[in-house]
Amino acid sequence: MIWKRIATLLLIPALPAMLACGGGGETAAYTYEDEDGQARAASDTGAPAQAAPAVADAATVIGAVRLNGTPPPAPAIQMAADPACHAVHQTPVRSEEVVAGPGGELANVFVYVKDYAGAAPRPTAPALLDQKGCQYIPHVSGVQVGQTIQIRNSDPTLHNVHALPKVNREFNIGQPVQGMVSEKVFDRPEVMVRIKCDVHNWMNSYMGVLPHPYFGTSDTQGAFRIANLPPGTYTLEAWHEKYGTQTQQLTVGPNEQKEVSFTFDAS
Amino acid sequence: MKPQEPIPHNYRISTLNKIFALSSLALLALVGGMVLYDYTRGWKGFQQEFLRVQGERIEEELEAARQATDEEELRRIDARMRESEAEIARERVALARTEDDLRDWEGTHYRADQDFRFAKAVLDALRYEAEVAALQKSSGWEGRQREFREQNVKVERLKLVLEDVTASRDAAMGRRDGLLARIAEVEQVRKGMLADIERLETQLRLVDAWTPEFLLLNKVPLLDFVAPTLKIEQVVVSDMFIDLNYLRMPRVDRCMTCHQAIDRPGWESKEEAERLTGELENRLENFEIPSGQIADVRARLEQLRETASANRNLNNPYRTHPRLDVFVGSASPHPLLEYGCTVCHRGLDRATDFARAGHTPSSADQEHAWREKYGWKPQQFLETPMFPRQYFEAACVKCHSGQAFVPAGEEISLGTQMVELYGCFGCHKIAAWRFQDLRKPGPDLRAIAEKTTPEWAIRWLADPRAFRATTRMPSFFYQRNVTGPGIPADERAANLGRQNAEIHAIVSYLFESSSRRVWPDGPPGDPERGAALVEQVGCLGCHVAQETVEDPESGVRTARRDDFPLERNYGFNLVGTGTKSDPAWVYHWLKNPQNYYAAAPMPDLRLTDAEAADITAWLMTLRKPEFTGAAVPPPDRGAVRELTRTYLITSMTEREADARLDAMPLREQLLLLGQRSIEKYGCFGCHDIEGFEDAKPIGTELTTEGSKHIHLFDFGFVHDYEAHDGKEEHVLHTVPSWVYTKLRAPRVWDDEREKTYQDKLKMPNFHFTEAEAEALTAVVIGMTKDRVAEARIAARSSSDRLREEGLKLVSQNNCRACHVVEGSGQAIEATLEDPAMLPPDLGPEGARVQSDWLFNFLKDPTVMTMRPWLSARMPTFHFTDSEADRIVRYFAADGGVPTFATDAGIEPHPESVAVGGVVFDMLRCAQCHPGSGSDIPTTTDLASLAPNLQYSRVRLRHEWIPEWILRPNEIVPGTRMPTNFPRDAETGEYTSPLTLALGSPQFGSHRQRLLGHFGSEEEMMQVMADAPRVSRHLRNYIWSIGMTTMRQALPSTGEPPPFLTEPPRPQPALQSTSIGGPEARSAGQ
Repeated sequence: MIWKRIATLLLIPALPAMLACGGGGETAAYTYEDEDGQARAASDTGAPAQAAPAVADAATVIGAVRLNGTPPPAPAIQMAADPACHAVHQTPVRSEEVVAGPGGELANVFVYVKDYAGAAPRPTAPALLDQKGCQYIPHVSGVQVGQTIQIRNSDPTLHNVHALPKVNREFNIGQPVQGMVSEKVFDRPEVMVRIKCDVHNWMNSYMGVLPHPYFGTSDTQGAFRIANLPPGTYTLEAWHEKYGTQTQQLTVGPNEQKEVSFTFDAS
Repeated sequence: MKPQEPIPHNYRISTLNKIFALSSLALLALVGGMVLYDYTRGWKGFQQEFLRVQGERIEEELEAARQATDEEELRRIDARMRESEAEIARERVALARTEDDLRDWEGTHYRADQDFRFAKAVLDALRYEAEVAALQKSSGWEGRQREFREQNVKVERLKLVLEDVTASRDAAMGRRDGLLARIAEVEQVRKGMLADIERLETQLRLVDAWTPEFLLLNKVPLLDFVAPTLKIEQVVVSDMFIDLNYLRMPRVDRCMTCHQAIDRPGWESKEEAERLTGELENRLENFEIPSGQIADVRARLEQLRETASANRNLNNPYRTHPRLDVFVGSASPHPLLEYGCTVCHRGLDRATDFARAGHTPSSADQEHAWREKYGWKPQQFLETPMFPRQYFEAACVKCHSGQAFVPAGEEISLGTQMVELYGCFGCHKIAAWRFQDLRKPGPDLRAIAEKTTPEWAIRWLADPRAFRATTRMPSFFYQRNVTGPGIPADERAANLGRQNAEIHAIVSYLFESSSRRVWPDGPPGDPERGAALVEQVGCLGCHVAQETVEDPESGVRTARRDDFPLERNYGFNLVGTGTKSDPAWVYHWLKNPQNYYAAAPMPDLRLTDAEAADITAWLMTLRKPEFTGAAVPPPDRGAVRELTRTYLITSMTEREADARLDAMPLREQLLLLGQRSIEKYGCFGCHDIEGFEDAKPIGTELTTEGSKHIHLFDFGFVHDYEAHDGKEEHVLHTVPSWVYTKLRAPRVWDDEREKTYQDKLKMPNFHFTEAEAEALTAVVIGMTKDRVAEARIAARSSSDRLREEGLKLVSQNNCRACHVVEGSGQAIEATLEDPAMLPPDLGPEGARVQSDWLFNFLKDPTVMTMRPWLSARMPTFHFTDSEADRIVRYFAADGGVPTFATDAGIEPHPESVAVGGVVFDMLRCAQCHPGSGSDIPTTTDLASLAPNLQYSRVRLRHEWIPEWILRPNEIVPGTRMPTNFPRDAETGEYTSPLTLALGSPQFGSHRQRLLGHFGSEEEMMQVMADAPRVSRHLRNYIWSIGMTTMRQALPSTGEPPPFLTEPPRPQPALQSTSIGGPEARSAGQ
């Protein structure tokens, strides 16, 4: 959580700078961080800032996702087209379509409660989508309806953030300035919204928009966690970019810690 | 005295008294009856009900207002009023300040202007002196020249100063105007609040008047005329008359007597309220609402959301008309007071009775419900009953028949396009502009022998859908009235033979009269490469290449036409091509379709020999061997003879006919029968066939079909029937239902009828789905003989006509397969994985490109490769100059711009170009837009490319470029061009990232470069924050790097090769069988 505090801290000095530069005192539709420091540490955990408020009796779902069979070879991304991207990486960057560990631990699987109908706590902190080294970080994530998404360009090059939703409002913003942060919100539930950069064709990110905070994304260990889930019976769906979706029923009792697992087939 | 003799009379008073008493009682009863009849007239019930509902709603609103507003809301409104008044006062102070400021600037401007003018005058004087001095070589002439040059520099400097001051003055003026507008806006809001209060008060009065006590007295029969609350309402429409052949009557529409809320917002159905909510929300989000109206729109949204979520769901006649922005609303193109109701809906204008008004049920269920509820019965003598619900758009045709697509008329536009695509006009004459000069929908058959075999053609005619499930070719043979299950077994057996004989005869005739050019083999190709090419170059925009589809409900099933957009049914389904044709023909067809026949609709995709060979190889793998598997049974000699005889005896005696037939070999009989069968079925309506060049269409003329009286339609004995897709359908005794039935099951009227073979109905079965048949029905019943005043006809000015001509070409050439035109299209999208590979949206094309460029590009798309990343090719259509011109005119009219060149010779100011150049760098435009040299920079990924900006100057309109830079995603939703100047969500003003960027060390050098072009840092920041101004600087830079000339379209290589290149082939031996008939038939000569 330390990075979150740093990010907030860094935003504060940026605000007056922004206002001073903004000409007629208008507030711009974006902010800008001029320190090039650690603010972009935007999470290797997959899920953005998502502190679902504690509920009495709430259960926790802990899960693992595996891939059966040999994962397809991840092709190296040709970044030579943009030197600003190329220079950042010492080793070739590989496609993030299928990221699996040696034991088949499948990362970037978005797991969420599909049919939660109860009242949902409001999102508190904004979610962060960073563009660093010409990649989206995180590659797969989830946000709540109405939650602010801060989209940041940490690269000294032009990115455009082009969301291609089906039910939400499309947007496509250019970010020519390193450190620029644009804020966006999705109004309607939608799994998944694809976000891409038209400048760098390889850049893709997927975002699940849900009316509640009960979702998680598997990490490189294939593990995910959904906390503070009120007891009940739900349908849990796991989504993967290449392998599609799987569902299973799930019943959690009060204060229960439930383990579930999903397995996708590589063939 | 003698008692007076009673006067003799023949009646008895007592009897008379009784009679008088009785008759006066009867009269009284009659009067009472009359009063009662009047009192209980249907419309009064509706009005009363509406008033009751309205009263309820007002009560509700008032109650809510009392509860919520009484204290709090009123105070809030009050506070808001005060607030707005304070704001007005504040703005006025600001205004005064701005005006002072403006006056200062005016002064400065005046001074700068004076300085400039004086300096210029001095310059002129100096020029003269310097010239004279130089001429006379007087002493010090060099000094004079130096002075002149110095003055020149001074003038240039002063000019810049003047420009800056002018800009500042204009800005001050803008600020003042902005403040004025803002004040007007706030006052508007204040007025709105006052109106709210007033509205509540008015409603309160109305409700007070609506007390039950008052009602009692007011509603007593006979007394109610004193101050009637219920009364007939009407609109008189004089220029949309009722045509009674010799007399034109104005329309007096009384529909709103019952449909009380028809023009009042707030009485929408839930669905309509939801639709409107979405629409308004979208417009708000897209900044399409002028700021002055935003408050109103928000209020309306509130009202709509309430309607959508309320418990009640009103039924007609109490609803608001849907789409008030298009119909009925006073700001719509069809305001109620000008157009009334029956102009579009038809029905009896003056009627105030449900049945007499001519309401037409849309389904059997509705008919039943109406009979129960309103005592509805069919109006036998009403010539123009209303259009049933599903055909409302039929009414558009009356005034919009001069438009290729009816704006906001999705159904009718679809139907019109279907008439064009299916070629209804081939058999049914339709004397309407839209269906004139269209190419025949089917291929030319004058060279069929080059393309396929007689065996294939016979099987195809017998059942086209067995070969291609999605074909547009209708089924003529083996239909329900000939060999259907309702036909007795012996007759069916005979008919099977007759149908087979006709098919053989038609094919014999076609192949006998066909040319037989020999197409040389093409080079060998690779089917795999071909398959990839078909997906890449754009074939799938017009063609489907699949027989089955995945249905979410029933799994994999046979494909239907409506599984695909209309545009993809334009070309034939590629399935089976390998079975139908040989590779040599396919290869040459791909290389140049117009070589096969000149009017071929397939455009030239400029395939290389190798590409054409690859695609041919792939097409050859699409085989349907089962189709040609079984042997074709030979024609039944008896049936051929019998049918030929039926034609012969129309012009000779039976004995003569028999003698003639005895002398005719089978082949000759077949040719004669073939010719007469083509005539019978009207094949030439859709196909060009040798010998039928001047044949007249065989179907009923449809030009005024919608005005035909119901008595002229033969409903046979049919009430219920099963359509081709197994659905149970019911026939209502209405014209629309008849037309729909005819389209769904063309020969159903023969059910239970006794007819000879040749008398049976022969309209083929197109296998229309319900939706297709409905869309077509709307077009057919919409074509009436109703006439409207000239002024009401849409698209009647000559420029409109040109525009529509262009649009018709857009439709004829299926442009919407790949492009969006008039809000729809891009059928090809479903076949592309990456939306970035979609051909461009032409929505803004007129406003976007210069007409000269578009003309050139249409004539020859190779003049410029705008989007080198697209794999789909813009085909060469070989447009004539006139065709290309019509299309250009359409786009220009659509974009609201002139067709002549307006951008020639514009030279941007070098300072602005320089500033634009720095901004261009800062925004990294060049990362995607190649700006010089080749189209494709070697370092950039092809899929991330954007158009080469060097083309901009010859291609784009000058005023378009900044527009596009400012709001690309609003103009073309989904475009890859990012929004660089996002709008502020509240004010809708554009914001600029440049001020932020200039504060960053990343852009230090840019900052230095920019500072050189501005007087001060402040000025620089001010300009950089002004997005519209920045966009113009950018435009000027882009303009400066553009090429100034482009390659002209190559002149077309002349006419495509003539249809026949071989020596005339022997004519079919038909002379001996000529039996009269149309003299024009050349095959017989």
